[in-house]
Amino acid sequence: MKEWEPKILALLCNWCSYAGADLAGVSRMQYPANVRVIRIPCSGRVDPLFIMKTLQSGYDGLFVSG
Amino acid sequence: MGLKSRAVMVAGAGIAGIQAALDLAEMGIKVHLVEESPSIGGRMPQLDKTFPTNDCSMCILSPKMSESVRHPNIKIYTTTTIDSVSGIPGDFTAKIVERAKYIDQEKCVSCGLCEEKCPVKVDDIFDMKLRKRGAVSRYFLQSIPSEYTIDPHNCLYLNKGVCRLCEKVCPAGAINFDDKDKIFEINVGAIILSGGIDSYDPIHLGNFGYRRYKNVVTSLEFERMLSASGPLGGHVVRPGDHKEPKSLAFIQCVGSRDENINHNYCSSACCMFAIKEAMIAKEHIKDLESTVFYMDIRAFGKDFDKYYEKSKDKYGVEYIKSKVSDISEDDDGNLILKYVYENGDISHKQFDMAVLAVGLQPRKSIVNLSKSLNFKLNEFGFCRSDTNLPLATTREGIFVCGAMNGPKDIPESVTAASGAAAETLKFLRLERQDISAEKDAVQEKDVAGDRPRIGAFVCHCGINIAGVVDVKDVAEHARHLPNVEYAEDLIYACSQDCMNTIKERIKEYDLNRIVVAACTPRTHEPLFRETITEAGLNPYLFEMANIRDQCSWAHMNEPWLATVKSKDLMSMGVAKARELKPLKRLPIEINPKAMVIGGGLAGMTTAISLAEAGHEVYLIEKENELGGNLRNIFFDFDSDPQVLLADTISKAESNELIHIYKNAIIKKIDGFVGNFSTTVTGNNKNEEISFDHGVVIIATGADEHVTEEYLYGRSDRIVSQVELEDILKTRKFPGTRKPKNVVMIQCVGSREEGKMYCSRVCCTKAVKNAGVLKNILPNVNIYIIYRDIRTYGFREKHYSELRDKGAMFIHYTPENKPIVELVNEKDTDSQVKVTVFDPIVNKNIEIQADMLVLATAIDAKKENIDLVKMLKVSLNTDGMFLEAHVKLRPVDFATDGIFVAGLAHCPKDCDESITQAKAAASRALTFLNKKAILAEGTICEVNDSRCTGCGYCVHICAYNAIELDPEKGTARVNDALCKGCGACVASCRCGALDLRGFTNGQMFGVFDSLEMTNVIDE
Amino acid sequence: MLQELKDTVKKLISEKKVDIVIGWKRGTLPGSASPLFIQTQEDADELIFDSTCRNNLTAYLTKDKRKMSKDYKKTGIIVKGCDARSVVLYAVENQVKRENIFLIGVPCEGVYEKKKIRAAVDGKEILGIKKSGNAVTITGRDFEIAVPDKDVLSDSCIYCRYPDALEYDVFIGEPRKEVDVKDEFAAVKEFEKKTSEERWEYIKSEYSKCIRCYACRNVCPSCYCNECFVDQNNPQWIGKTPEMTDSIIFHLIRNLHTAGRCVDCGSCVSACPAEIDLRIMSKKVEKEIKERFDYTAGLDINEKPVMATFCEHEKQDFIMS
Repeated sequence: MKEWEPKILALLCNWCSYAGADLAGVSRMQYPANVRVIRIPCSGRVDPLFIMKTLQSGYDGLFVSG
Repeated sequence: MGLKSRAVMVAGAGIAGIQAALDLAEMGIKVHLVEESPSIGGRMPQLDKTFPTNDCSMCILSPKMSESVRHPNIKIYTTTTIDSVSGIPGDFTAKIVERAKYIDQEKCVSCGLCEEKCPVKVDDIFDMKLRKRGAVSRYFLQSIPSEYTIDPHNCLYLNKGVCRLCEKVCPAGAINFDDKDKIFEINVGAIILSGGIDSYDPIHLGNFGYRRYKNVVTSLEFERMLSASGPLGGHVVRPGDHKEPKSLAFIQCVGSRDENINHNYCSSACCMFAIKEAMIAKEHIKDLESTVFYMDIRAFGKDFDKYYEKSKDKYGVEYIKSKVSDISEDDDGNLILKYVYENGDISHKQFDMAVLAVGLQPRKSIVNLSKSLNFKLNEFGFCRSDTNLPLATTREGIFVCGAMNGPKDIPESVTAASGAAAETLKFLRLERQDISAEKDAVQEKDVAGDRPRIGAFVCHCGINIAGVVDVKDVAEHARHLPNVEYAEDLIYACSQDCMNTIKERIKEYDLNRIVVAACTPRTHEPLFRETITEAGLNPYLFEMANIRDQCSWAHMNEPWLATVKSKDLMSMGVAKARELKPLKRLPIEINPKAMVIGGGLAGMTTAISLAEAGHEVYLIEKENELGGNLRNIFFDFDSDPQVLLADTISKAESNELIHIYKNAIIKKIDGFVGNFSTTVTGNNKNEEISFDHGVVIIATGADEHVTEEYLYGRSDRIVSQVELEDILKTRKFPGTRKPKNVVMIQCVGSREEGKMYCSRVCCTKAVKNAGVLKNILPNVNIYIIYRDIRTYGFREKHYSELRDKGAMFIHYTPENKPIVELVNEKDTDSQVKVTVFDPIVNKNIEIQADMLVLATAIDAKKENIDLVKMLKVSLNTDGMFLEAHVKLRPVDFATDGIFVAGLAHCPKDCDESITQAKAAASRALTFLNKKAILAEGTICEVNDSRCTGCGYCVHICAYNAIELDPEKGTARVNDALCKGCGACVASCRCGALDLRGFTNGQMFGVFDSLEMTNVIDE
Repeated sequence: MLQELKDTVKKLISEKKVDIVIGWKRGTLPGSASPLFIQTQEDADELIFDSTCRNNLTAYLTKDKRKMSKDYKKTGIIVKGCDARSVVLYAVENQVKRENIFLIGVPCEGVYEKKKIRAAVDGKEILGIKKSGNAVTITGRDFEIAVPDKDVLSDSCIYCRYPDALEYDVFIGEPRKEVDVKDEFAAVKEFEKKTSEERWEYIKSEYSKCIRCYACRNVCPSCYCNECFVDQNNPQWIGKTPEMTDSIIFHLIRNLHTAGRCVDCGSCVSACPAEIDLRIMSKKVEKEIKERFDYTAGLDINEKPVMATFCEHEKQDFIMS
């Protein structure tokens, strides 16, 4: 069996980090495919419950960036 | 004057050009934005970080770039140069030439396959030749427009007739070798020059070994090295051997302050630039030594000195006041710097790398441009403008901003750009714009009560997505998701025929929510929203899944995992779409009048600008006469400040649109953008006057610091620089005989603990007053005791002139301040003894002075706090008003409709105050020139039954968009001010607040869908 | 002191300075106290104040439907240290107008935790409880034992730094001043020393006991939402059954909702029928707030809520830049 890999959710601010994730793609930077991104209008939108919900749904880690 | 055209050409699309274009466009003016390079953006995209906040340059710029490309009033021409301009002011015809791009910009999807396959490799200009690019390329990663272009000088086919590889690989069939240069003749009423500057090429200074030694680089090259998206991916290594440097030398004033090359001016930005790079480099490399070799550290801008101090205290950057005479190289590529201290001592030190702080100089093209547009250049080859008219060229109808008429940093460029826009509007005169005239083309379908019927579309993007992701599989996956009525894969979802397909499917299947899995919503969401609007759906019933930029391109070697991820992103998109609701953008009426607080130079200038653009202004002055601090200034280098004062006052007083209230006190300001209401008391204290207005401009000025240092106040021989002006005017010197020795001490109350900022004007003022004194008394000895002489920009010329006239400059440090004693205090001919350590002779010297002049600081007004309370704006730690963004929104506040100008913002000179005053007018006009603005669709709303009125959201909102309803006690969102960030929603325990477009329900929908995502069966 | 308290209340009622006073009366079970709503002079005779006066009565203030009405007069309320801090919190959060509340401050020697008392007698039936000095005498059918206070006081009281009402209109009794508490966060520090696995196991074992009765929330003075997030539908924030992860989310979100607002009155601990260690997380949050923002809830009526305030100098070590 393959080595365990964490499932990551990223909450990214539309104005900076989400653009950064786009830029990574445009630059063809390769990174592991086990991250799912949710676009938010501002990292201020992140309710603590979002974090709990993510963990509850079986994700191992959460990346809030903005 | 024949005013035939109300369009404007903005020549140069750097940050200044972009800002000028955006302001004009918002005022309702059609703008032709012309740029020589293949992308808008100018210098800023090349920068990694910006001082003094270390914000990522591209991150703060790109929203403005996108905004300008989307704005209906802005037409962008790239790879375009101005051929000629004919006609008269108000009715120019500009002939512009767009170079052939050889790629159909409509078809190109920016996938980059062409560049990958291009056999030609040439130096990348954007990356300062630190990396290669193809003959077909994109200017930089985040270019706008993002499409590729072919460089005709290097393309094999265009030069040798063979190759055409790009044509073969292009999946979109966008290559067009038959493309020709296009000539446009555009009719414009006015022109704004924003062509920027070049940096000095140090190849001409042989002693630094640039290009001879590989490890000597320029500051701009180093900036690219630091950039995470740069050629080194942000891993700084020596160009010579690709080893990580352990020590860096920053050499200042390379090509600046140098009479030998006719650069007898200061480039103004390089000190801060070097401080920034020295700090950031230390963040990149552990234990790196950064040493800056400088003559004077010119950290004269707002919050710059704090940044400088931080670089020393927190980052350990070293500063050596000396002049580097030359650099030599050892066998390992290490550099040996030889430098000379002030006292003539010579020293050597070895470094791994050296960064040359190259100065700024006019672009070569300015010479021809000045001929074809018929404007004059100054002695240094910059565009010429007058101190009192800093945004005008010598030709009517042509305005200038950015660094084209003198070195400027980013906020100064942005300020000048806005100022130039206000000048242009004034010149063109335009009626207020009516947004309600906008067409409402298609009847919007009412989807209330209908169950979600989702259409899911998956884009191949040629092979960009389909080459990695199994798009058929993704579409099949979508088809089985709840509420999905229809799913389909499309070759290029954004092409016209696929857009038509989407519209047809909406009708055919009665779809009421659309999800498109394709590229990034940041670029394509507006397009798709427009499409579904045309099919009768509310534009907000749309969601995108980013399976290209954030999936197929990022996981090219794991197609299977990329497909799994794409399906998940589709599931999440559908989950959110299920909860989407139609949203409206509601109009907010704008009252066309303005209130300007403060009747000094800045306040009056703003008021005049607004009035001349046709708006009524209430000008509120606390004193019983207009003029502010300018009333105490009597001398300038090229102009008479008192003439400026008299002119400005008469313009303000004679304009019937300006209502001046003197001795006025503001009692109350209520309301928000477009709808303010203010009460003041005037001459008659019992009488209260109330008026309505749409915007507020704060121009309350600043105070002169009253010092207790250096025996100030103990003798009439010890005066401030402001008091000296009065003495120079009346020529009534203290004592009975004319002064022989005059000492000036700089930085009195500035740049010290508790007031860690530079008062900016005092060095220039000292130089100016010393010059005047020398003219009156040619034999007087002048000693200027200083910390750093900060005669930035063209002010440098006057500094070197004063040195040539024999004024003595003595450097001191705050640890070793000069000591002042009074001699024969009772005597009419008393003297002031000044003892100071002179580093040149390396000992204390004593000066028996007849006069001691103190350059006292500029203090923030204590009364600022009253306005802070009334307008809910902020002050910085020095008590100066805090703008919305120090770089890109220098005259705005975070709260819409409130602006700042002049000394209330930070210390500045008259010409800078005038520029900023006009900039504030411009920003105000972007509101005032419209009858109404549209609120955003994605804003917050309150569920009254849940709200307890605890007020957390009121504190949290950065835009003052929430208040408590005095009747109900619950929160109330102001649609005009809400920016839709959702911080309040996250702060609300009760679940009473929600953000439209990102509601809790929508977010929970996505979170609930997560359980089924990221599941990979082995 | 009790007489003085009664006299004060009677005077307030007779002079119509307040139209109601909330205090405590003897409860039905031995060693318990019930809320007393005093509207007449006679009502005041029922007043008691001792270590059985467990409830934080201020929770009634926010539930008072008349608070927004124009003819609202004044409510008097007897407050211990923690209770007074709740009133400060309410004033800061616009839940009461300070001028509408008459605070009768009292010094508090700590209140008994009935679970500890029951444990002290091995769960046997208790017929009487009497405080004498620093101990309590518990009597039953066939026993009478004296237990030192420190063994039966609520944890919140053992570590209480503010036993006196700091905010009051009148203070009855002798102030105890600020007491020297060795280390109110000792338990949290012990908890922090555990490995994350051990902490997770503890959280799981505690919160899996939760039966989702919401007694903790209902007695909590800081929980005054019109509709708690757990009760909301459309959207539904979390599952409503006692499923472990949902229960954990409920408790942790409640900790976050009371961050910088919890006055550590101990009501939730006392109310919990499942005997969950609710205090470990609320104290952990309190410690974080204290360390990061140097803030303690309910001390300063003029200070903005800590979680709604940002200062540039605040620690931002959780941000990677």
